[in-house]
Amino acid sequence: MKSVAVTGLGVVSPFGTGVKAFWEGISSGSCAIRPITLIDTEGFRCRIAAEVPAGIAGSGRRSRADRMALAAAREALDDAGIARAERADAALIVGAVGGGMLETEAWYWQRTRAGAAPMPRALTSCFPSSHADVVGSALGLGGPRETIVTACSSGAGSLALAADLVADGVVPLAIAGGVDALTRICFMGFNALKLLDPVPCRPFDRERRGMSLGEGAAFVVLEDPQRAKSRRARIYGELAGYGMTGDAFHVTAPHPEGEGMARAMRAALEQGGVAPAAVGYVNAHGTATLQNDRIEARAMRAVFGEGRVLVSSTKSMIGHTMAAAGALEAVATVLTLLNELVPPTARLENLDPEIGFDCVPHAAREVAFEHAISNSFGFGGQNVTLLFRRAA
Amino acid sequence: MSDSRVAITGVGVVDGHTSGLTSRLLDETEARRLSRICQFTVAAGRLALGEAGLDPRGDLALLVGTEFGDMVSTIAFVDGYLRGGPVGVSPLLFPHTVMNTMAATTAIAVSAKDLSLTLNAWTVAGELAIARGAAMVRSGRVRACLAGGADEPPPMVVKTIRAIGGGADVRGDGAGFVVLESLESARARGVAIQGEVVGTAWRALPARPHGIGRGVDSRAIAAALAEAGVGAEDVGHVYTSASGDAERDEWEEALLDRALAPHQPPRRSLGLAAGRHSGLAARVVATAAAEAGDRLALVHAVARGGNQVAIVVAGPGSRRERSSPRLTTERALA
Repeated sequence: MKSVAVTGLGVVSPFGTGVKAFWEGISSGSCAIRPITLIDTEGFRCRIAAEVPAGIAGSGRRSRADRMALAAAREALDDAGIARAERADAALIVGAVGGGMLETEAWYWQRTRAGAAPMPRALTSCFPSSHADVVGSALGLGGPRETIVTACSSGAGSLALAADLVADGVVPLAIAGGVDALTRICFMGFNALKLLDPVPCRPFDRERRGMSLGEGAAFVVLEDPQRAKSRRARIYGELAGYGMTGDAFHVTAPHPEGEGMARAMRAALEQGGVAPAAVGYVNAHGTATLQNDRIEARAMRAVFGEGRVLVSSTKSMIGHTMAAAGALEAVATVLTLLNELVPPTARLENLDPEIGFDCVPHAAREVAFEHAISNSFGFGGQNVTLLFRRAA
Repeated sequence: MSDSRVAITGVGVVDGHTSGLTSRLLDETEARRLSRICQFTVAAGRLALGEAGLDPRGDLALLVGTEFGDMVSTIAFVDGYLRGGPVGVSPLLFPHTVMNTMAATTAIAVSAKDLSLTLNAWTVAGELAIARGAAMVRSGRVRACLAGGADEPPPMVVKTIRAIGGGADVRGDGAGFVVLESLESARARGVAIQGEVVGTAWRALPARPHGIGRGVDSRAIAAALAEAGVGAEDVGHVYTSASGDAERDEWEEALLDRALAPHQPPRRSLGLAAGRHSGLAARVVATAAAEAGDRLALVHAVARGGNQVAIVVAGPGSRRERSSPRLTTERALA
């Protein structure tokens, strides 16, 4: 794949609206995981998550997730300096899972318990594709429009598909990202699977007991590098390659040897023409479940060699934001390369000896790299690795 | 980027009327554990791969378009909580609440280890998955793929969508796939070629979410025809996405009138007769190819909100002269 330039970033995260708040939060190792206020948690083992603070812009008639997506996409387009007229040919690819389910659940709860409930307009935004329709319509994006659902790797997958469209010359630019609001279904499901830690998650720690949920949205503008240069756009970095693979193994469990994960990482490196030794940092999927962290480490060892790269988990600070995770972590990886600062893994006290990598505990570390990857893995064995190159 | 021609080498469609067929295509564990829509999807995938005689060898990609995902299981999951509180929540049902559950179970069933994509869109999801799949084969990103879709819309959901103005489509349920691979690969395998996908494009028309647009200029149709290297005069017939949503169907007619003018090839739709579901797109593409003869067929779909897909299809062994530089070059080399 021909590299594509990253020329705009937009984020709504548990640290608030905007890329600046997000970077300040993760680079300082702050924790945004707190008691849940959005939904009833009575009777569940875990009652915490990283919620986006109040003040998300947009009409209350729109779902929470639609508003987060719109705010992040708008910031990314403005950041890239893309005028309205240029947007008519721009592709929009959104990774999503929960759609507007938070509002739909509230209606369904009331309808079931009270026997009837007025149908809110927000019901039309129940499905994941709502975000793309809302963002595309509001921002005048007229190119290819897609909503991809690959569970927890959806946000990363959206960047990969958008990069294809730009690299193949189908469109001159694309905006891609992921979004998910906290939902009852997601909260109840992961509780039922006993995958949630009652206290804030501790990726790669020997004492880790599961993940924490989060919510948010992130979008990036991807552009043909020549086009970006000719209009003197600020280039944050390049998306140099990606790998998307399937485990074809189990609906919820990853392949025990991390075979599909390793294949995704190798495919990204091969596509970018980058040797494993040229990669300095991995923004890990790092959910803090016993299984994921060990298997991801196994896969990284197979690709890079033991201890050969720095590794950290953004989820230790903002929880697992589901479909938004891959996009938020892509933004984190781009900013890591740009700022020459690796965000830490928060609350990492005692590294699990089976991990075998320096997971940057507690505090960010100043290091400059040319290349970094971001891993995202989802239910169904859906693995996505994005390879980023530092801006020249 | 390579520039392969894309062959259709298999098709498999199952629905509520073919439950006997579905059960013969599943093993005991799948029949016991999978939800109905996942069973349909696995069965349709196996049917298509069987017809293509394709051994996945691990590098098969999978693209599943869906409007609703496994909404039946999602409602059952939620009802478990509403009846029994936290202890009523089923961990077994939870993975089915994510829309990629049909892709996940099918990938496992047919050992598809290349990328696996679930694409969610109103009423054009199956066509979008086929267009995306064809583009990936053409560019050389994937060797072969199963592309199509699956849906099982619960009556309560369909009723609710109608009540809030989301369209009055005639809905069906089922799953369907075509097998797409490079023409070169299909010829090397000596498999029967059912047709070719010669041009694809998908774009967003200006429209409000769930609304009907006012404009009738279609960039998707123009782009798909351009990719195929043909003009509107080469289109022998059109399969539309008409399925009973009067406003949207009318919009689609206007888009086609403008895009193909002054030519007005005959138009047909399978959605009204069979009931629209995302798997139907596979049957539409395969049928369009079978009926194309020496001309080309256009498979077109447009959704409320503006998502539009155009797929240009050629029949098996079409000998008509086309102006496509790609096709002309290949003939010259041959």
